[in-house]
Amino acid sequence: MSFYEHTLIAKQDISTPDLEKLEKKYKDIITETDGEIIKIEKWGLLGFANKIKAYKKGFYIHYKFKAESKTLEEIKKSSIIDNSLLRHLTVRYKKLDTETEYFKEKDKNEKKK
Amino acid sequence: MKRKSNKKFNKRPQNPLNKLSLFQKSDSRFSKKCPLSGKDAPVVDYKNIKLLKRYISDTDKIMPSRITSVSQNKQRKLTSEIKKAKILGLI
Repeated sequence: MSFYEHTLIAKQDISTPDLEKLEKKYKDIITETDGEIIKIEKWGLLGFANKIKAYKKGFYIHYKFKAESKTLEEIKKSSIIDNSLLRHLTVRYKKLDTETEYFKEKDKNEKKK
Repeated sequence: MKRKSNKKFNKRPQNPLNKLSLFQKSDSRFSKKCPLSGKDAPVVDYKNIKLLKRYISDTDKIMPSRITSVSQNKQRKLTSEIKKAKILGLI
C-alpha cells in the first residue's frame, strides 16, 4: 500500500449533477478495490494556460488516497473511456501532506478584491 | 573642449569577475546558494504554481540552473514537477 494523488479535469459544459456523479464514480472505484480515501478537494473552474481540445476552462477534482496497483489500473481504464474528462494525472508519494491547499487560498483573495 | 565627466563609463554594468584583489567582494546580484534547498525552503510540487512560474521563461521554457543557481538535485525535481503541471494545463 502506498499513497497516491489523482487529479481529473472535466469539461466545462458539464452540468452540476453530472459533476457530482463523476466525483462519486471515481470515489466508488477506489473504495470498491480496497482503497482508502484520505481527502477530496474540489478546485472548481480553472482556466488553462493553453487550450486543451478546444476548451479554455475545466473543472478540477483532486483525490488523495491510499491504495494498491489494482485500483490504479481500474482508474486508468475508466478515465480513458470517459467522454466527460479531458485529462488525468496520478502521482505517487511517500508522504502525503493534507494540510496545505494551494488552490483554496486563491479564491479567498479574489473575493476580497 | 570639455570632457563629460566619465558618465558613460560609469553606466556600463561591471563584470563581477573584474576584481582588483582576490579578497574583494563581488557585486553580483544573484546569490550563489541554492534557493530551494536548506532550512525553510519552499516545497517543490506541481500544485505550487507560484513557485514554479519563477523558474520558467516568458516562452514557457525551463530556466537553466546556471542562471537560477538551483542545485542539481533540486533542478531535476523542478523539471519533472513543471512537466506534471504542464500536463494538467496549470502552467
